[in-house]
Amino acid sequence: MSIPVLICDDSALARKQVKKSLPAEWDVEVQFATNGKEALDILRNQQIGVTFLDLTMPEIDGVAVLEANHAEKLVDFIIVVSADIQPEMQKRVIELGALAFIQKPVNTTKLKEILQQYGLL
Amino acid sequence: MQLSDIHSLILQRINSGVLIVDADINLVYFNRFMESHSQLKSEDVIGQSLFDTFPDAPEKWLKRKIQSVLMLNSPAFSSWEQRQYVFRMRHARPVTTSSEFMAQDITFIPVCNQQSNEVEQVCIVIDDVTDVFFYQEKLKDTLAKLEQVSRMDGLTQVANRRFWEERFKIEFASAVRHQNPLSLIMFDMDKFKQVNDIYGHQGGDLVLVEATRLVQSMLRKEDLLGRYGGEEFGLILPNTGGKGALELAERIRKAFQVHPMKFKEHVIHATMSVGVCELDNNFKKYEDLVTRADLALYQSKRDGRNRTTLYRK
Amino acid sequence: MKDIALTEDQRDCLQELINVAMGRASDKLARYLQTFVHLQVPYIELIDSQALPERFAENYAEEGVSLVSQGFYGERGILGESLLIYKSHDAHGIAEILGYEPDDISEVEQLTDISSILTTTFLNGLAEQIDNQLAYSAPRIVSSVDTPLEQHLEQLSFNWDLALKVDISYQVTDYSFNCDMVLLIPGEAIVNIQAVLDQILDEF
Repeated sequence: MSIPVLICDDSALARKQVKKSLPAEWDVEVQFATNGKEALDILRNQQIGVTFLDLTMPEIDGVAVLEANHAEKLVDFIIVVSADIQPEMQKRVIELGALAFIQKPVNTTKLKEILQQYGLL
Repeated sequence: MQLSDIHSLILQRINSGVLIVDADINLVYFNRFMESHSQLKSEDVIGQSLFDTFPDAPEKWLKRKIQSVLMLNSPAFSSWEQRQYVFRMRHARPVTTSSEFMAQDITFIPVCNQQSNEVEQVCIVIDDVTDVFFYQEKLKDTLAKLEQVSRMDGLTQVANRRFWEERFKIEFASAVRHQNPLSLIMFDMDKFKQVNDIYGHQGGDLVLVEATRLVQSMLRKEDLLGRYGGEEFGLILPNTGGKGALELAERIRKAFQVHPMKFKEHVIHATMSVGVCELDNNFKKYEDLVTRADLALYQSKRDGRNRTTLYRK
Repeated sequence: MKDIALTEDQRDCLQELINVAMGRASDKLARYLQTFVHLQVPYIELIDSQALPERFAENYAEEGVSLVSQGFYGERGILGESLLIYKSHDAHGIAEILGYEPDDISEVEQLTDISSILTTTFLNGLAEQIDNQLAYSAPRIVSSVDTPLEQHLEQLSFNWDLALKVDISYQVTDYSFNCDMVLLIPGEAIVNIQAVLDQILDEF
């Protein structure tokens, strides 16, 4: 059965980039969200296996999504995909329960390693 | 010739200083321009610290600059306008400047390892901009002279009317604000038309030049003499009341009447009529002082010339 | 007037490239300045350069501003001029952030230094993503506190067709300063940039 995957980014290009970087052999069903609010709606109402989350978005940003997810214990597997790659930011999102932190644009090899590490692939 | 040989030939012959330092800021390359201008030999400085090689260079600043290139993988710059030179060297420009050292524009360029793409060295390119420095200096001098000229009356070398009025406006405002005394002396050559008729315009000019020179010599630094019109002059006296202004006016008038002026085979004697006015609380603008000093001046003329009148309400 | 409009896709693509470039620049800066740099989504806007003086006059009406300019040029016909605009009160204390002793460095040099660092780290981040290499001219102060900004912008808009306005707000711990970055780009370079964007869009 396919794993439901959510890709949340305000940029259409970034959403496509993430989708394209997913390993070909990984059986997934991809949904998109274009901002933090949409992402939370989906996370609250659907069973999502893995979420790819951008941080810098207008209005509800990725950090706020992580905080809500943490408080409401919605899903376990959130991978942050961000342009803001400062070590302090990486530390912060990991503290908020993100599984991993990937720098934009996504490197498929790196992504594979992470998915394998957590038994998702 | 191989491309790399051409490159090194160009680096050696180029009319700019090129030096390369490693991450510890030790020299790894020093081109011929650097050798000849710093009078150091490449083989003596390679491997040495940049700061030992140029002990006068601003070490802390330069370190931080080079560090930024190493860490950010981006170029850095230094302009002669902010720092005339970083590496003290003689210039070899065919111009004479106030500086014996080369004015420098400097570019710090990151040099990356081809594999890792990490910055390993920093290339420092030094352009000799002594010419630019020289012309900039000239321009500054010229502008200063131009400013001076635009303020002065060509004949008498005292302030022209435009500049004099500008200054008067400022002095007036300041005196009113701080409640300080301020006085104005206006003086006019007596029978100037006659002087011109007898001696010609050159004779008339001489009288004006001599009069202003004499008056100028009797002033304090803060007083300002200006040519108001043809043969009429105004003298602004900050921090001076009517009594003091009247005393000075009389000293000037008396000194001028006994001041003979040699013109060709002649000796010209001339006199002036003077009007004095001091600042009053009712005055709204500096022109109020001018009008009243002028009234006093005409009174002196009417009373028979070669005298001083203090304006009274 | 040249047709300079970007399509929605091109715009989105450029915005994303700029976001990533900003992220990389901030990371480098944070390491260099040894502090955390707060990153905001930069707002980009393409405007006719003739409209620049008016736009900035509104923004900086009441205050003295400093304007630093730096040229850049790269491969495939990409070139332009970067302008950084600071409000005067933001221009003080930059020496401290940069790690210089205040006595080591004049105010003008502080401004040219920080401008050059912001411009080159940001544009390098942009260039990396499109496999380009940029070179830069030395930064120059073109206006300072006493000169009206509009005058300078009018002059500049005469030379350039289009302005890419990127609002960058840099905040570092214990200290914040804001500046506007404007990339001035001639019409023919815009066409080249559009080609690059289309190429990226084709890949996805």
